[in-house]
Amino acid sequence: MKNQFKYLFLFLGIAISVGFHWIKTTPIYFDIPKGFPKPVYDFKNNPLTEEGFQLGRHLFYDPILSKDNTISCASCHLQQTGFTHVDHELSHGIDNKIGTRNSLTIQNLVWNKAFMWDGGVNHLDVQAIAPITSEVEMDETLENVVSKLQKNEKYQALFENAFGTKKITGQLMLKAISQFVVMLTTANSKYDKVMRKELKFTEMEQKGYNLFKTNCASCHTEPLFTNNSFENNGLKIDETLNDFGRMKITQNPNDSLKFKVPTLRNIQFTFPYMHDGRFKTLTAVVNHYNSDIQKGKTLAKQLQKPMRLSDNERTEIVAFLKTLTDTEFLFNPRFAYPKENN
Amino acid sequence: MTKLIIFNFLLGILFSQSSLAQTEKDSLCLNINLKYKDQILELNKNYISRNDTLQINILKFYLSEIEIQYNDKTTFYFQKKHHLIDVEKSESLQILIGKKNNKIISKIKFNIGIDSLSSVSGALSEDLDLQNGMYWAWQSGYINVKIEGSSTSCKTRKNGFQFHIGGYLQPNYAMRTIELSRNESVNQNDNLNVEVDLANFFSEIDLKETNSIMTPGKKAMQLADFSKNMFQLK
Repeated sequence: MKNQFKYLFLFLGIAISVGFHWIKTTPIYFDIPKGFPKPVYDFKNNPLTEEGFQLGRHLFYDPILSKDNTISCASCHLQQTGFTHVDHELSHGIDNKIGTRNSLTIQNLVWNKAFMWDGGVNHLDVQAIAPITSEVEMDETLENVVSKLQKNEKYQALFENAFGTKKITGQLMLKAISQFVVMLTTANSKYDKVMRKELKFTEMEQKGYNLFKTNCASCHTEPLFTNNSFENNGLKIDETLNDFGRMKITQNPNDSLKFKVPTLRNIQFTFPYMHDGRFKTLTAVVNHYNSDIQKGKTLAKQLQKPMRLSDNERTEIVAFLKTLTDTEFLFNPRFAYPKENN
Repeated sequence: MTKLIIFNFLLGILFSQSSLAQTEKDSLCLNINLKYKDQILELNKNYISRNDTLQINILKFYLSEIEIQYNDKTTFYFQKKHHLIDVEKSESLQILIGKKNNKIISKIKFNIGIDSLSSVSGALSEDLDLQNGMYWAWQSGYINVKIEGSSTSCKTRKNGFQFHIGGYLQPNYAMRTIELSRNESVNQNDNLNVEVDLANFFSEIDLKETNSIMTPGKKAMQLADFSKNMFQLK
């Protein structure tokens, strides 16, 4: 009798401990497109799973992250426009409040070293607290978001599926958001297909590409179309904003008026352009670099000499820039609003 | 049979209780005693510093990498690295270090704040979880010490003052290491009682001039130095 009980308890003990580890997740292996460098993001600290990705996707599209449940990440980062906010010079958030900068795109962020226009955020996992806590964006606290999620049955289940626990923490929430965001790789534009010799540029695009390589690529370096640096690109300061960019973070006068060199992928759809959204068209952007550069102490060395391109050449550069459009990425249903059973 | 099981169960509870009591008696704690001069610190109570009358509403800070040095030159490194101390969470004011031993403690050493590596490591857990509100959103990095309150000397909104002291990049790396020697006359069986006297911080500050420091920089470095003065081992 005694022995029977002993084995019963032993069996129960093993069954319970196995049960705790029996939550199955489906690993995702991150694809590095051919010719792309090694990612900066360390996946070891946040192993990707399908469940984590789906949780992150729900969080990304859910206004529960904002104080009055009106603003989600997607409010300013729309898929069809390269995950940015179009049509507004400066992005707006809660209660129609307007921020001080034009929202950045969310593309190929695993290769990104520092985040935001001024590089103030040092790790992708902590990026989301900036918009969540900003008074003009979501105006929430991370603590309160976690408590709202904890009360929500859908999220209890999603967190359990992804991380094997119903106990939601700030850490797990932020890691889940990262799992969605890191998957937003765009590497299938016409440009990429030409590089892979699947397609050919038109004559105009090819001329534009040649001009691009001479005049733009030292900062907007292929294949990411950014070199991850911060530069003063000769914009006249907007006195309504007095935004000195990176200097605010480093407190180094040599960083005055420097902003992140953004990627140019999907640039056809990410208008308006520049940190304050001052240019509505690509033509205006190219004109700025061609003849409107403001000289200053911190001006990028690459921009010291004017480009002096002809009208035709400027049109050719714009034609090339449009080959960076990756329609498959912009309309991939996997990155879209999570409908049930999708 | 059922009776036997219940009996065993109760016996089990009894034993676990007594062993718990045993642990408390045998263990060494680091107690944080928050004070203002000779009084126990209370939130929203008026205190006098220099010419300022002030109240404190928020007091949170990190202690990290606690070490205990014994007079035989050996050192104990406490495994749990980061501790968030919050005046509003009494459980945070007592840190259970481990079992007592017969060695004589000569010094303790710890950091006020968080090291630079943790500040660039993304979303961490427990005391370092970003939901604790001790991490900057627009400029990454932990807030080592957060002191907020009000004073009639501050000509600010609601007379408020806010000190969020931090910064992990040189030359504005605001973490501070301190060593506190233990008086030999202290009974070695006593816990480690660290007194944190806010008066020693505010005595260095003219609230009329300095009332809102919330970014890394020279001023934060100065405040970090002042924050060292608060700590004493009793």
